[in-house]
Amino acid sequence: MGEATVTAVAAVWAVAAAAILGCLIVVAAALDGVLSARAQGTAGGAGRPFGEAARLLRQRRRTTIAADNLLWRIGGAGLVVVALLMVTVVPLDRWTLFDLDVGVVWFNAMDVTVWALVWLTGWGSNSAHALVGGYRFLAHGIGYELPLMFALVAPAIAAGSLNVGGIAAAQGGLWFVVWMPVAFVVFCLGVVAFSVWGPFAAALGADLAGGARTELSGVDRLVFETGRYALLAAGAAFAVPMFLGGGSGPLLPGWMWVLVKAVAVLAVLVWLRRRVPVVRPDKFMEAGWLVLLPAVLLQDLVVAVVAVAGG
Amino acid sequence: MGLARRGAAVGLKEALARSAARRAHVLLVETPGHWRIRAAAERHVHERGWILARSPADADVLAVCGPVGTGMGPPIEQVWQQMPGPRVRIDIDDEDQVEAALARAAESIADTAGHLEDAATRPSGPDLLSVGSSDDEHADTDHSAHGGGHEGHGGGHEGHGGGHHDMGHDMEMAPHGVALAEGEQDRDGLEMDVLRVRLGPVLPHWPAGLVLRCSLHGDVITGADVELLGGQGSDADDPVARRCDAITSLLALAGWDDAADQARLMRDRLLSAGTDDRAVSDVRRLHRRVARSWLLRRSLRGVRPVHEHELEEHRLPRHLSGDTYDRLLTMVERAHRDLVTAERSASDDLPEDTRSDLVAVDAIPRLVQGLDLATARLVVASLGLDVLHAGRQVSHG
Repeated sequence: MGEATVTAVAAVWAVAAAAILGCLIVVAAALDGVLSARAQGTAGGAGRPFGEAARLLRQRRRTTIAADNLLWRIGGAGLVVVALLMVTVVPLDRWTLFDLDVGVVWFNAMDVTVWALVWLTGWGSNSAHALVGGYRFLAHGIGYELPLMFALVAPAIAAGSLNVGGIAAAQGGLWFVVWMPVAFVVFCLGVVAFSVWGPFAAALGADLAGGARTELSGVDRLVFETGRYALLAAGAAFAVPMFLGGGSGPLLPGWMWVLVKAVAVLAVLVWLRRRVPVVRPDKFMEAGWLVLLPAVLLQDLVVAVVAVAGG
Repeated sequence: MGLARRGAAVGLKEALARSAARRAHVLLVETPGHWRIRAAAERHVHERGWILARSPADADVLAVCGPVGTGMGPPIEQVWQQMPGPRVRIDIDDEDQVEAALARAAESIADTAGHLEDAATRPSGPDLLSVGSSDDEHADTDHSAHGGGHEGHGGGHEGHGGGHHDMGHDMEMAPHGVALAEGEQDRDGLEMDVLRVRLGPVLPHWPAGLVLRCSLHGDVITGADVELLGGQGSDADDPVARRCDAITSLLALAGWDDAADQARLMRDRLLSAGTDDRAVSDVRRLHRRVARSWLLRRSLRGVRPVHEHELEEHRLPRHLSGDTYDRLLTMVERAHRDLVTAERSASDDLPEDTRSDLVAVDAIPRLVQGLDLATARLVVASLGLDVLHAGRQVSHG
């Protein structure tokens, strides 16, 4: 691990990174469309994201009485920005936009800002249901954030580095997912949670008439929904260097392996939504602190012992 | 060059309009006694590949299912004013009209010129609010949130409840025409802001015509008044399909779209094909899925248990005993039992008469008191209010 494992590319490549993220978003949304259509007893559905986008582009933006417009719009538009910032530290095999020594911490910092953004979306519209939705997200956050942080710690301990490229390179023989499955599962749950997705979509629930996004329409809703898919995609992409050996794999070039693995994780996360109901935040708090946190700490301990013994 | 560009822009606009019409979101309003129209509308919405909207902000089409009864007009109008546009309203008075009405809506959505005109002639937020405050007697209908707090143009932290604690309408107490939250003692004796939020009558997965005016401390309901709008419901036929409908609502509110869709498809089959072997196996499959879900059990277990003495006190039917999870399973089991007995056509051994299904609406405030807003929705849905008993209309919880 002496030499640099990844090279930082010029900033213009950020456009390509955004395009790749955009493709992942479309894949995720199309898959969800197909699965939804099937559950509703109709065929097709792959075109849903395009129709939905067209509809929202045509729809008028709306505001509410005494809305906190600035904060409301920051919250809604912020998710997609955060997702873009997340993928800057995800190496595409040998290339990365931002070869940060503390890439893992960067990712973690980004996912924490989602707390503020979802809450602001709920707060800004000055509407009871939206605000309750915003607070529900914080309640989930208290349950998932610490387990997620400690799940990110495990690969970092094993690789002895907080650099994402370094962590990917440290999995030469054995992918981290194999010997730290608990951390991987908890990480995936964290991704689902900060994307306000599936079991962690209580903040946007039907029981709150749409929760934090109740009052969003038109392009504001489009940006918010895109942001959720973008976070899901960025989280899935981050799992690749952290747990799934980065670009390693037979036959295909490394960069393609990264994409294949990211799409596979993303597909599982999208599919998960169909399988389970929403976890009510008050119930999840208990599970997060009494089950996930001890489990992932134990995982960290095992990883640390192995790292010390092996090193 | 200029012409070509304009032509391209028009083409793009038309393409957008056509795509949008293929993916319309429909907000359904059910008036009491007309759930079958709403059920048919849901089915056709899905068949078209359209989506059911959750709030006015999310909706392109407002579909009023059933004739508009007493008191339902103003709330529906308020929701209409909150829709962003392009917006289309359709009124469906009969099950047979559903398909044609939706087809008409699809055409209207694509009519860009009409929508531009609509947008230009819409009243502004302040206009809508001033209409509300000029009529003090109806201050709460006009000011407070409708459709469960999607207030949109109607105001944010919604107005005070109907007349009590009236704080006047001067601008100091009501910035932007919306009254400030009042203070009140919380359960721990500290002062807490109190917000009045109205649930219903335009609210998906909510009993038709039911209005619950809640006082909220934070998101906890500390008291509620109940009212039934739009006259009495009458179509209590197809009890099994009706029960599947209630199951659909509860599962949808619990955030399990797939299971909710399964229950809805079952309901639609029962309505169109009647009861047969397939229906029995369908309901068994649903029961297995619901009973097996560990997460659902964890979510609904212990949510607002109804004890023996409460059944007596509120004159509630026996099958509502237990917590919300019990009530969900009971609903599925009752649907199953009804199907099996219908198949055997041995109707003589029905253990309960229909009268015991009547739920006194004035029990609802007591049942939701102390729950948070979202949990209250689950509890109301778990009652499966197919037959609402108007009785005494208002009580204070």
